[in-house]
Amino acid sequence: MTTINREVTPPGDLPENPQRLHNDLHEIWGNPRGLKALTIVNHTTLGLRFMVTGMVFFLIGGLLAMLVRTQLALSDQDFMTPDIYNQVTTMHGTVMMFLFAIPMLEGLAIYMIPKMIGARDLVCPRLTSLGYWCYLFGGIILTFSLVLEMAPNSGWFMYTPLSSSEYSPGLGSDFWLLGITFVEISALSAGVELVVSILRTRTQGMALHKMPLFAWYILAMALMIVVGFPPLILGSILLELERAAGMPFFDVAGGGDPILWQHLFWLFGHPEVYIIFLPAAGIVSTLIPVFAGRPIVGYGWVVFAIVTTGFISFGLWVHHMFTVGIPQLAQAFFSAASMLVAVPTAIQVFVWLATLWLGKPKMKLPMLWILGFLIIFVCGGLTGVMLALVPFNWQVHDTHFVVAHMHYVLVGGMFFPLIAGLYYWLPLFSGRMPSETLGKWGFWLTFIGFNTTFLIMHWTGLLGMPRRVYSYDAGMGWDIFNLISSVGGFIMSAGIAMVLLDFALHFRFGKPAKPNPWNADGLEWANSMPPSAYNFVSLPKIETRHPLWDDPDLPRTIAEGQHSLAVATHGRREMWGTDPLTGKVREIIHLPGNSWWPLFAAMALAVVCISLLTRLYPLAVIAVVVAGLFLLRWSWENGAHPKAAPDARVAPGDPPLHSRTMDGPGLWAMSITMLANGSFFLSYLFGWFYLWTVSPEWRMPEVSPLSLVGLLLAGGALTVGAGILEKMISGLRQQRDAGLSLGMFSISALGFVQVSITLWVLLSADLAVTENSHDAIIMVGLAYALFHGGLGAVLTLLQGLRVGYGYVGAHAPFEPAVVAQLWRYNVATFWIIVGALAVLPRVIGS
Amino acid sequence: MRLSLQCLTRIQRLTSIQRLTQQRVNRLGILLALLAGLLLTGCAGDKSILDPAGQAARDVVMIWWVMLGFGTVVLVMVTVFWLSTFKRKEVARTPVEERRVARRWIVGGGIILPVASIIALLTFGVPTGQRMLTLPLSDPPEVIEVIGHQWWWEVRYPGAEGGEVVTANQLIMPAGEPIDFHVTGADVIHAFWVPRLGGKIDMVPGRINKIRLEADEPAVFGAQCAEFCGAQHAQMQLYVEAVERDEYDAWLTDRQTDELSSLATNEQQHEPAREAFMTHCASCHRVAGLSTAGEGPDLSDLGSRTSLGAGIMAMEEGAVTHWLQHHQRLKPGNKMPPHDDIDTATLASLGAWLESLTP
Amino acid sequence: MTIVMQRLHLTHPLHFVIGLTLWSAWFVTVYGGHAVACEVMPPDPEQGVFTLVNALLLMVSLAAVALLAALTVGCYRMSKHHAGRLSFNARVSAGLYLFSTFGVLFAAMPIIGIPPCL
Repeated sequence: MTTINREVTPPGDLPENPQRLHNDLHEIWGNPRGLKALTIVNHTTLGLRFMVTGMVFFLIGGLLAMLVRTQLALSDQDFMTPDIYNQVTTMHGTVMMFLFAIPMLEGLAIYMIPKMIGARDLVCPRLTSLGYWCYLFGGIILTFSLVLEMAPNSGWFMYTPLSSSEYSPGLGSDFWLLGITFVEISALSAGVELVVSILRTRTQGMALHKMPLFAWYILAMALMIVVGFPPLILGSILLELERAAGMPFFDVAGGGDPILWQHLFWLFGHPEVYIIFLPAAGIVSTLIPVFAGRPIVGYGWVVFAIVTTGFISFGLWVHHMFTVGIPQLAQAFFSAASMLVAVPTAIQVFVWLATLWLGKPKMKLPMLWILGFLIIFVCGGLTGVMLALVPFNWQVHDTHFVVAHMHYVLVGGMFFPLIAGLYYWLPLFSGRMPSETLGKWGFWLTFIGFNTTFLIMHWTGLLGMPRRVYSYDAGMGWDIFNLISSVGGFIMSAGIAMVLLDFALHFRFGKPAKPNPWNADGLEWANSMPPSAYNFVSLPKIETRHPLWDDPDLPRTIAEGQHSLAVATHGRREMWGTDPLTGKVREIIHLPGNSWWPLFAAMALAVVCISLLTRLYPLAVIAVVVAGLFLLRWSWENGAHPKAAPDARVAPGDPPLHSRTMDGPGLWAMSITMLANGSFFLSYLFGWFYLWTVSPEWRMPEVSPLSLVGLLLAGGALTVGAGILEKMISGLRQQRDAGLSLGMFSISALGFVQVSITLWVLLSADLAVTENSHDAIIMVGLAYALFHGGLGAVLTLLQGLRVGYGYVGAHAPFEPAVVAQLWRYNVATFWIIVGALAVLPRVIGS
Repeated sequence: MRLSLQCLTRIQRLTSIQRLTQQRVNRLGILLALLAGLLLTGCAGDKSILDPAGQAARDVVMIWWVMLGFGTVVLVMVTVFWLSTFKRKEVARTPVEERRVARRWIVGGGIILPVASIIALLTFGVPTGQRMLTLPLSDPPEVIEVIGHQWWWEVRYPGAEGGEVVTANQLIMPAGEPIDFHVTGADVIHAFWVPRLGGKIDMVPGRINKIRLEADEPAVFGAQCAEFCGAQHAQMQLYVEAVERDEYDAWLTDRQTDELSSLATNEQQHEPAREAFMTHCASCHRVAGLSTAGEGPDLSDLGSRTSLGAGIMAMEEGAVTHWLQHHQRLKPGNKMPPHDDIDTATLASLGAWLESLTP
Repeated sequence: MTIVMQRLHLTHPLHFVIGLTLWSAWFVTVYGGHAVACEVMPPDPEQGVFTLVNALLLMVSLAAVALLAALTVGCYRMSKHHAGRLSFNARVSAGLYLFSTFGVLFAAMPIIGIPPCL
């Protein structure tokens, strides 16, 4: 970045020479080649990397599915041993869910969202990069277990006690728990930055109710990831602790309960289905108006449906557990909620229908896939409503009927719209059109193959065939249906192969696409095809839901630099930070450039993951420290740091840089992260109260082993520290930074006091963590408090140092405000921990 | 009913040793025969939900057919409407008219349709669920305990007159009266499911779950563990037979410890086998009168059972010996250690003795 | 405080999520409360549905319904007072509150028909 300190040129009346502007922007935003390509943080490149990697994992998952269908094609086969078969089915589910569906859709969102909302990149580019590397490394670690024939084999849902060390002694479960948690870092980081990007970086004028529907869908998906993934992360950590350290969270004899795992898993698992479905439905809502040639009818209805789906989907998890013996009244609540979710889904289906009805729909290749989606998904939705009915569920639960239903929902609800979307956006990716012939063949083979496989499978299930059996006896009447399913599976594979072939060939042989080839309304088609690294030469003001229909000239005027921020001489990567509701410009966001730190941090985390797998705990500790150092080093290059934005001058009339305000997007990123953290914490509290009330052999000591005095002292130190921090912040608000550095150091010191006292409380409690789940879960709670206290203390310490370097102060007051959010969160959670773990047991008694 | 019995005998013939030794002679032939058999007899197998043999299962099948009909109508209608939009002639509409048409679609299809369907569904469904509750009855039903192990079933009759009766991998129940099944898991989570009688319930370690089922009349049913429970989840079958009440009582009487003990010990010719049993088997298996262990399946009335190894093969002459020799090949991963250290003659004598345990 | 009230005006899109958050809170209360009640003071199965547990759950549900219904009406009125963005926000919020109201009503129906702890 040699261009950093160039003078800001005053804006002239005439637009600059577009080519020169492009060259200047390219110098700042363009991707390096060679080894340095690993440092790229650009959303276009990383979005593509996500999607290509996702497709590779899809092929692996598909191959596993073919192995399963081969084994089940005939009765009494021994094509695979039972153990290998169980590894294959477990990995098929795991790969498809965690390594294909979610990352693929995230990749699409990462690629599309900035282009659709008129931004130049996502708001935390380095986080995109970290997410990608975590996904890649985690995926490789997980799939590598297959090569070792050590893959997890207790089902993709990992029910305890089957997945515990007693019944799954190998490394399989560990591969799953550690690998998936690693991959989830990627999902969470993408979730956080998509939320913030959609809310805070839409182009000027794009009010919330004018933003493209796809952005609404992705916003909901990202928020659901943020809230839905932490329960599984908690569950995975607890189960790994049980396996590795013998803490009996899920072991009845030790006071745990295996059903707790099921709750935590499905608290994630059910929303997950909608996390996958919503973006796909977003694709449908984007494509249908384009091919119907008219705006979608009922924009408000769709927003309504998205919000409702997002929420209701968190109230359904128990419908995966109708047979575990929960009282019928409780089952009835979930049964009702499961049926409620049919309403928003039906609303969307009929909004799409009404749009087609009132428009002039054209049957292009993407529409074919949308039709396939409709038929399959409606069918899956109908069986879903059936399954919500408790008595019926008791019969078909865990049979092939559910396998069929699930594939109808997931393949119909995710894969078909995804392919529709990829066909639709291919010209944008490559500047070329796909082949209609190959595409149609691919569609029909996939569609016919899919229905042959899975329609018949409903019947197999009704004939009583359970799920996850490696073999079945001849003469149950299942043979012929299984054979048909297997044949269908291979037809579907042929279809998918054809589609992928079409994708691959089109990059070379496709006809060049004309601008806006589908005559679409979305801003993404105002990009060049293929897009430049900075998306838009100038950022337009958008006050309509259909920018390209209302102003077909927009691509030209954008490229000529006739709109805002068409300046590159300052050498910064810049875009608008706007008001989340109205889309009024608030500040200029300057983004960090390419960086090695995300890759290094992910590599260190991969070492953590592998060393935990191989039980090399000292190495794991070292790697954790190293990863932490890399992350802190990364955070150092922010604000007024020479590599970020040392020179805060902006063109006259433009708002300030975000790091020079108290209101940048980083605040939002921190809040959303704390939302995820809060979901993790609530899951933990749920676990504590659940075991306390429900666990069959729960043992609680007469008197809580935690020293109340110690905890009160620690909480006092933390609260005082947070109070001083708040005072510092309100001083910064009034441009006062006297004593800021000293203040930060003393706050940090208070943080370390809290950590030390909490540690003393933990050690003096003399917990028998391997014998009693009560002690084990207390230990986890205090460890949580310790980690957060420590993080708060370290971050304030760094802030103190940054004040000394002049990166933070009255001129750049942003960062302390971000750190303060963590402190507020820490204070709240610490007192809740004290209340729940130490006070409540004393009040209620065991 | 007779139909399903036929099916069962066919299965047993197919799952016998002969099949295992001369397997896959002619896969295609078997397949065609099966297809023909399927079409000719309409046999749906003894685990078919669609062939109910008790009230609970019958209710569910009824609901299923109604839901299937209704769902098909909805699916076809939605699809036809969607497809028709591509063929429709253009109609000129004012924006107000457009809004009205759109609202009709969205409210009609998006709200009224699902809400009406859900209400209809619940009207059917809720009373069905009610009937399956284990509400207290004036005449308390018989309790049978079923415990899932990796990968076999322990069945206990705590209410049997004269003392508790224990058996394994077979469930005999009286027909024509409600039975309360109390189930749990000994190691991992399993699920108890007799498809033709009604819904399933998980067998969770540390908990006792209850389910009430009733068989209309005497018959044989298939059952299989429904919750994935590890390597041999597929081979965790349970033979269920409903019999008349007096036959049931007699069956229980025959299995009182005293009766079984004399059965196990009275034949002098089996003395070597009994000794071998005490040396090699007694630490895991119970044979009434000889041992009390419960880690493996109870063997006290093994000879009278219809299958071996939780459904892996039919019981016939020489079957037990064959099983003892080859069980790790027949059911890989099962918890019984391989018997390579025991000579064939001993295994044969053990097999012959165990087969003789027929009350 | 006034700033908070202004921000939380019924035309604010935060109301998109408040209704369903209340629905979720109600759901968690009823589900969790029911589980705890069945653990701590399970009523005699002979009592059928006429138990204290059912009565308490029903009361909580009716309170939630009343609150959500009031918010529905409020948002609906507000949507008539404004145009454009604010009307859009209030209208969608009203719809979501209405849905939440019916959501509570609907999911609470089993309380009057099913004995609590079986």
